[in-house]
Amino acid sequence: MHFKTVSYDSVMLYFGSVISEEVLDLVQSAYTSLKSLTHIIDLTPSYTSILIQYDIFYYDVFSIQESITLHLSKTKKIALKQGKEICIDVDYSKGLDLQRVADFNHLSIEEVIQNHTAQSYRVYAIGFMVGFAYLAKVPSSIQTPRLETPRAKVPKGSVALAQTQTAIYPQDSAGGWNILGHTDFDDFDSFEIGDRVRFINVNL
Amino acid sequence: MLIFEVLTPGALTSVQDLGRYGYAHLGVSQTGAMDEYAYRWTQKLLGNTEGNALEILLSGLKLKVLNPCTIAVCGADLGFCINGQKTNIWCTHHIHKGDILSFEKNVSGLRAYLAVKGGFSLEKIQGSYAYSAKENKGLKVEKGTLLTYTESQTRDLRRVQKVHIPLYSKVLSLNILLAPNASSDILENSYTLSPNISAMGYKLQGKPLTSSKGGIVSEGIAFGSVQVPPDGQPIILLKERQSIGGYENVGTVLAKDCFALAQAPIGATVTFKAIEIEEAQEEMKDFYNFFD
Repeated sequence: MHFKTVSYDSVMLYFGSVISEEVLDLVQSAYTSLKSLTHIIDLTPSYTSILIQYDIFYYDVFSIQESITLHLSKTKKIALKQGKEICIDVDYSKGLDLQRVADFNHLSIEEVIQNHTAQSYRVYAIGFMVGFAYLAKVPSSIQTPRLETPRAKVPKGSVALAQTQTAIYPQDSAGGWNILGHTDFDDFDSFEIGDRVRFINVNL
Repeated sequence: MLIFEVLTPGALTSVQDLGRYGYAHLGVSQTGAMDEYAYRWTQKLLGNTEGNALEILLSGLKLKVLNPCTIAVCGADLGFCINGQKTNIWCTHHIHKGDILSFEKNVSGLRAYLAVKGGFSLEKIQGSYAYSAKENKGLKVEKGTLLTYTESQTRDLRRVQKVHIPLYSKVLSLNILLAPNASSDILENSYTLSPNISAMGYKLQGKPLTSSKGGIVSEGIAFGSVQVPPDGQPIILLKERQSIGGYENVGTVLAKDCFALAQAPIGATVTFKAIEIEEAQEEMKDFYNFFD
């Protein structure tokens, strides 16, 4: 764990340098703990770090680091809350890029769908837009790069894939991810870092 | 009670406040007034607490006054007129039913703030009035929009002392807190503000900086963060920035310099000078203490 001063009122706390479930657990645990630290303006957890914005009339650049370290050591014993399990029905017949993903990985479309639904994914970060949860890790058998030219409009509810990550578009947006299917799921505010997401194939 | 009917909305007129805090973990953008200096002056002049203001981007806005009120206008000189008469800004005015308020001409700066005593009556969303285009939150005015308020006018009039009124320059020197281990090349170059400037961020043009081609592991983005995408042209991320991102960060522009930047036009010249964290905190404490 180490700190980096980012701005006059923000410090970045790093828990590792590479994306892994172990680092995610550290981020999730520390994020849960830091919610009870006072005089904090905003917390932005991500894959390996938490951005902490604080009140400069209460902490200075040194005391914020001491207070965070002390707070985390005091709350370390709190058992890590198991992330929720969220099941999401997906209509893979709407997968505009299933053929692209299949071709890229020398698989059939059915095999791509089987691979995508064969495991659960964890929420590593939320951002890009409200409710956009970055889910990982996509099995290497179906990892596929982003489209060379992003689409001007990816419809809300699109289930998509980019390399090691998969996600659901919470609203219409431009985007370059490979679209695998569509879901009517609409509870995007419920995603929290650490949750487990499972995609369910509904057209059998 | 009704206060204004919008006759013409101008380029982009929206209600802003100091922004939306405590929801970054959901991907919510902080947003808020781009030039907090001018915004805070409108609130100080009117004695508003937890208020709001119209953020007026460039000239074109025309309002019909439906009830008497005290207003304050600060920020860019967009040719503010009451009933067609050019009128001072950085001060309060008593306005009357039937008056026409208009912003006729772009003289200097980009964003003016118009606040009413007591603030406009609106629902807060996630603790804030701030308009966000990309999140479809808050209010952007259209032709015919009716704005409401609760309080009546004050008796006194107030104005900002001349020494506190900024001159909006086309040459800016921004204080930057360099990231540890980041190259200091940015201090050596001179940049031009590209046409690609929005509430999300201002893209600069100049000698390209070297950037790590693959980017970094995505992480939270602070206000004023200077990011370097693969093309090497830095972007200063501002109020409506995304909550997390994966471009390399070379430093962060001091917040009050970002407020000045919000008034700078396309083509302005931008250079950077390094500041240390202790000095940055002192400067911002002075800034906030001034308005308290």
